[in-house]
Amino acid sequence: MAAAFESSLYASRRRRNGITMGLAYGATAFGLSWLVLILAVLLWKGFSGLSLAVFTQMTPPPGSAGGLLNPIIGSLILTVLAVLFGTPLGILAGTYMAEYGRYDKLTTVVRFINDILLSAPSIVVGLFIYEIMVAQMGHFSGWAGAVALAVIVVPVVVRTTEDMLTLVPDTLREAGASIGLPRSLMITRVAYRAARAGMVTGVLLAVARISGETAPLLFTALNNQFWSLNLNAPVASLPVVIFQFALSPYSDWQKLAWTGALIITLTVLALSISARILSAQRKSS
Amino acid sequence: MSLATFTTPTATHGPSNAADLVEKVSVRNLDFFYGDHRALKNINVSLYQGKVTAFIGPSGCGKSTLLRILNRMYDLYPHQRATGEVTLDRENILSPSQDLNLLRAKVGMVFQKPTPFPMTIFENIAFGIRLYERLSKSDLESRVQHALQRAALWEEVKDKLGANGLSLSGGQQQRLCIARTVAVRPEVILFDEPCSALDPISTAKIEELIDELKDDYTIAIVTHNMQQAARVSDFTAFMYLGELIEYGETTRMFTTPNDRRTQDYITGRFG
Amino acid sequence: MQLPGSKPVVDVALQGGAIPVADRVDRGKVLQRLRLRDLVFRHLTRAAAIAVLVILSGIIVSLIHGSWPALRTFGFGFLVTESWNPVTEKFGAIAPIYGTLVTSFLAMLIAVPVGLFIALFLTELCPMWLRRPIGIAIELLAGIPSIIYGIWGLFFFAPFLQQTLQPFLISVFGPIPVLSTLFAGPPYGIGILTAGLILAIMVLPFVTSISRDVFEAVPPVLKEAAYGLGCTTWEVARYVVLPFTRVGVIGGVMLGLGRALGETMAVTFVIGNAHRISGSILAPGTTISATIANEFTEAVGDLYTSSLIALGLILFVITFIVLAFARLMLMRINARVGG
Repeated sequence: MAAAFESSLYASRRRRNGITMGLAYGATAFGLSWLVLILAVLLWKGFSGLSLAVFTQMTPPPGSAGGLLNPIIGSLILTVLAVLFGTPLGILAGTYMAEYGRYDKLTTVVRFINDILLSAPSIVVGLFIYEIMVAQMGHFSGWAGAVALAVIVVPVVVRTTEDMLTLVPDTLREAGASIGLPRSLMITRVAYRAARAGMVTGVLLAVARISGETAPLLFTALNNQFWSLNLNAPVASLPVVIFQFALSPYSDWQKLAWTGALIITLTVLALSISARILSAQRKSS
Repeated sequence: MSLATFTTPTATHGPSNAADLVEKVSVRNLDFFYGDHRALKNINVSLYQGKVTAFIGPSGCGKSTLLRILNRMYDLYPHQRATGEVTLDRENILSPSQDLNLLRAKVGMVFQKPTPFPMTIFENIAFGIRLYERLSKSDLESRVQHALQRAALWEEVKDKLGANGLSLSGGQQQRLCIARTVAVRPEVILFDEPCSALDPISTAKIEELIDELKDDYTIAIVTHNMQQAARVSDFTAFMYLGELIEYGETTRMFTTPNDRRTQDYITGRFG
Repeated sequence: MQLPGSKPVVDVALQGGAIPVADRVDRGKVLQRLRLRDLVFRHLTRAAAIAVLVILSGIIVSLIHGSWPALRTFGFGFLVTESWNPVTEKFGAIAPIYGTLVTSFLAMLIAVPVGLFIALFLTELCPMWLRRPIGIAIELLAGIPSIIYGIWGLFFFAPFLQQTLQPFLISVFGPIPVLSTLFAGPPYGIGILTAGLILAIMVLPFVTSISRDVFEAVPPVLKEAAYGLGCTTWEVARYVVLPFTRVGVIGGVMLGLGRALGETMAVTFVIGNAHRISGSILAPGTTISATIANEFTEAVGDLYTSSLIALGLILFVITFIVLAFARLMLMRINARVGG
């Protein structure tokens, strides 16, 4: 019995396959070309502004030369503080979810809520911190900005900590138990050690994420044109300065905005690549 | 259905007259490579119209690999290639100009694990038919019914054709897959260990099915189970470590094999 | 059992506290101290987990508290009023809500088909050695901060659209009766369409990578069964892969939508900040997040601030629902594929 078929049907199937496969190629080229375009424009507009002055001079009033020193330092401070506040909380929560509470209801709920917080609009986080810190304190502050960023850091660290700790094989835990190791020590000295690379990756990813965050800082840390290390007052940050300068009508401010954008992008890329290398090393070991 | 032992195969597979053997598929000097590793070495074998050919041998001997060459399934994966000649009706299917979809319409395959599509029972069968033919609704329905009848599944599912294919038992799912394969009217059907995931009763049903199907198709079956090969096939090929050791009529293979290794395998010395 | 680091487990574990191991007499005291420490640690971690819930409730409570004055004053009318007048203190949310929904819808309209086709490419057509690089490139798109999209959008993309796509759309749809209002000029460059297009680029990586992950989880035997019948690659994708992964794909799409709804900086730069609803998508508009970002620090008066916070509450509720739905879908497919 031979396979009976209509050749016109077959031909139209071939045609349809050809068209859709072409669309798949096209879609990929389309998606990739945006990446290329964005990076190209960024490099083209921002690179010419890159100079030592950018890293050593403060933000200027419009019309004069200057740099981005205070926003860069401000961002660094806020980032470090955010990581300091958010990482321990995130690690501890992730530890509970992976170790003590692995199968209980609380963990299921927290995991669900955490995943939602992970993608929640960051401007809402800014409003939240505004309400509980800025409104209460009566003024904007660097502390508020750091806390807002910390709220964004926490879900990222919780997620990676839980994932990494869950990957640690139970045989390792059993080995610890068999010598009478108390649970807390087993976790801190054994499991953390085994999951260390993964957890560091999580922190790197969190830092990459908050490096570019603008919205939560807009009404918490606000902005500051002058050099200030007072965290009880508005603090300059790179994203907010870019926001202000880019939307201004002054071309030298705009130029600085592009350079700042380039700096942020390169930082984020470097962090992502480091995180990737770290996790690849972990896989191969 | 008697479950014969491997020393006395059933009488339905009597010696064939060389005159009524029509070669459907021929394999000549076939080598197969996974990357640089040569998995099949110089295979020469023929499949005959209307006959069942079984491929037996210990794990890793290459029998599934050989089967998957016959419908160029290996083409889906990188770093796998075949050299030599495999002809279907005297056309070399290994040539790069071979239309793969057409080949697979002619050479159907039933897999080890039952794989109904995520569709209704009716759709599972109709899907394949619709690929190749434009039929009226009633024609389509009768084709589906016919396929299910040939797979000995019609009575069990005729009232629930709208149910999901996955709601059937393992044995039923496998028969559904056989019905699906038969529905597109292939010329050759390849069975890759079709019963290894099934219980003995389903296995028996499927073996009966293969016996009924063979009149209209050319069938190749890979099996781990020597007794099954003896029950079901007209010709048997014994493979070992990527080579075809011996090949001949089933009765003769199981009673008086020529090669020492064949004898050792059949008598259970290794495997 | 040796750890990576190759010190015996006992030494590693206990050396931190410098606790002498061999002393039988002190062992009781040591274990008691450790028991206390265990208890403290356990409660600490539990508290931290609960803290995540506290953060969420804190957000909800503070938003409700902050928006209370506005909600009390305007009631449900807030949701349907178009006027946004700080001088007369009349605020209505419908223009920002409209902008948020329309830009996100536009973004999904483009990102979903493109993302699915890229996922199809990556799983069926792409040569092995290219898969990781392209996958990484797509992730890089996801990592670029929103403000970069904003500044790129304002200075490059919007002028580009103003000179190419927008005049084209205006001329093509001009003669057609209903659609001409949808695509009415003038070509500002910025506007709802531009914001939607940038959002599409931002959401694309999410849809792509989740779709690719679920496509890869389809059992190869199932695909082989379809190929075995002589199906073309497209037929396998459409009739086998997509139905099998449907739930996961929806989850990925919802996740992308959640992102699009909450996106702030990119949209703020290119939406034009006009508090009105116009029939044309080429016109400027505003979204909830853009309104808050632009006006919050200048808001004078409790009602103004409270209205902005009310907008934030609305946004949070919408995104929460979308993201919760997405997570449920993804949980279901994880259960099915894993089990």
